[in-house]
Amino acid sequence: MPWNDKSNPGPWGTPPAGGSGDGGGRDDDGPDDGGKGKNDGGSPWSRPPAPRSPRDREPRGAGGGGPGFKGPDFDELTRDLRGRLNRFFRGPTGSGRIRTEAVAAVATAVAVLWLLTGVFIVQPNEQGVVTRFGAYAGTALPGLQYRLPWPLESVQKVPVTSVQRSDIGGQGATNANDSLMLTGDENIVDLDFTVQWRVNNAALYLFALDDPQQTVRAVAESAMREVVGRTALDPIISTGRGRVQDQSATLMQRVLDAYGSGIQIVEVQIRNAGPPAEVVPAFREVASAGQEAESRINEAIAYRNRVVAEAAGDAAQRRRAAEGYREQAVREAEGAAARFNQIYVQYRQAPEVTRRRLYLETMERVLRESRTVVVDSDGTNAPIILPPTAVAPPAAAPSPQTSVGPSR
Amino acid sequence: MTDRNRLIAYGVVAFAVLVVLANTVFVVGQREQALVLRFGQPVGSINAPGASQSGLQLKIPFFEHVIKFDRRILSLEAQQEEVIAADQARLVVDAFVRYRIVDPLAFYRALRTQQIAQDRLERLVTSSLREVLGAAPSDDIVSRRRGQLMLLTQRDMDRRAREARYGLQIVDVRIRRADLPQANREAVYQRMRTSRQQQAAQVRGLGEQRNREITAQANRDVTILIAGAQADAGRIQGEGDARRAQIFAESFGQDPEFAAFWRTMQAYDSALGQGGAGATLVLSPDSSVLRYLRDGPGGR
Repeated sequence: MPWNDKSNPGPWGTPPAGGSGDGGGRDDDGPDDGGKGKNDGGSPWSRPPAPRSPRDREPRGAGGGGPGFKGPDFDELTRDLRGRLNRFFRGPTGSGRIRTEAVAAVATAVAVLWLLTGVFIVQPNEQGVVTRFGAYAGTALPGLQYRLPWPLESVQKVPVTSVQRSDIGGQGATNANDSLMLTGDENIVDLDFTVQWRVNNAALYLFALDDPQQTVRAVAESAMREVVGRTALDPIISTGRGRVQDQSATLMQRVLDAYGSGIQIVEVQIRNAGPPAEVVPAFREVASAGQEAESRINEAIAYRNRVVAEAAGDAAQRRRAAEGYREQAVREAEGAAARFNQIYVQYRQAPEVTRRRLYLETMERVLRESRTVVVDSDGTNAPIILPPTAVAPPAAAPSPQTSVGPSR
Repeated sequence: MTDRNRLIAYGVVAFAVLVVLANTVFVVGQREQALVLRFGQPVGSINAPGASQSGLQLKIPFFEHVIKFDRRILSLEAQQEEVIAADQARLVVDAFVRYRIVDPLAFYRALRTQQIAQDRLERLVTSSLREVLGAAPSDDIVSRRRGQLMLLTQRDMDRRAREARYGLQIVDVRIRRADLPQANREAVYQRMRTSRQQQAAQVRGLGEQRNREITAQANRDVTILIAGAQADAGRIQGEGDARRAQIFAESFGQDPEFAAFWRTMQAYDSALGQGGAGATLVLSPDSSVLRYLRDGPGGR
């Protein structure tokens, strides 16, 4: 934590951990200890460009190692370094007294470096919570920020804009019964949901709760079960989902606010709500019964459409036929009447003649067309037996004229 | 002597100062509260909830030492418990408790560690739940008065914790789930199944009912259509017949006697002549057609 801004180093880079690890920095040359560590430690520090940091500005250039640094000639290196240090602290003459200016320079450099470790960057999606000796000292907004260096102040960054998800029930469930809930009408529903939440007060989030993530889950589950517990099964699995989501979100928010958790519920989303696996077939049956009922109704409608249309056709046909009959009857009557009228005009001019002529002509036609047996009935009382040929129809009778006339 | 010895002396003094300082100054974090003990006897608390004392604090070095406790809201997951409701229904209840240490002094005296506190609280929540839920019917627990019962449990626990001087405040008790035991669950499933089957039968029945209603209505409509058409047809035919009768009446009315003769001739023609071709007529020579056949040219 003290160096937790290592991931976002200040513009001067971060001193390697050795700076504090060597601990004995009481004699002002803390960074130099790093240099000594290099001599003794060997390979991990033997990359010259790595420590090319502010130390390089020091006149002694201890970290630079010199351009001739090639192999692991540690003896040579140690001797060289010792010489340089001697020259730096005791002057070029090697007079044996430690120069105070040199000590001051090193101390200043160390102090400046230490102060610079207080610089940190808060990313746009974060808030930085600054604590001074553990006590809350303020919240840093996104951007380049400064705090007093460790151990006076430290900062903890909390992502506040990013939304976190907690899935409850479903595949990730630890227990298959996790997602079974008792509904208000004492049925059981199988319900998985997701809570999306984010931190809206970083300080509260860090300081109020023991385990915020787990608390969100527990509160979410409790609130959802409470809401489901007072809602009937059918709304939960069909149209009332949105209401259940809203109510449980409100309830969760209220509880989390009561804890002073600094957490905001963004959304509660029911991923899946249905009957438990054991009763799914029965629910399917209802659905299929609905389909069957629908198809029975459709069949009836199809029957109705067909039959009624046919009947309408029949009705029209009967009406047209009747109209045809009417027209025919009238026309025939007109024809017959006209014929009679014509004859009647002639008849009036010569009634007796016409009448007789008509009679005879008719008889002529009748007798011509039919077999005629003339029996003189005078004095014959016995039944007359006709020969069969007399009554048999003629062998080649002309086909009877079909007369299309009114049958009534 | 001189330089080196002076340096060593400085070092010793600085070290001593550091040791004393480290035993005097201590840090109480925002998440913590502390209890100061003098020779093992608690003498004061720092940064308990309600007080805002986090940060750098001082104590008497070597004589006093400090124990720190969590200041945040702590969680306790109660074990699953089978509770018998007032109506004898069994429910599996799963609850969690949120609590905090509000009086570190009392907490230290009564419980000492968080582990012990958790054990005590677990027993406490179990008995509170049994007491509160045992007095309520099961459907109150499941649905209607759940929130209220949770509040009651929280108050009960809080009261008991205070009476026991645990130094704990019960922030919240929430029933995570109140479910039926496995055995009862099967009964619920059975009921759900039968209820659905009933629903399915009803749906099917309704479909059949609609089917028949529609069919019957269609048949009725057909009958009415045909009957209407027949009525129309009869009327239309009647019109035709009436018109025909009128035409004949007008025409034949000029001379009914001749009309009857004429019509009779036509009837003979069609019935016995062309129409009744092949009919056999048995005539008497007395008939008027054959008058001349019998009487000769002078016949009268």
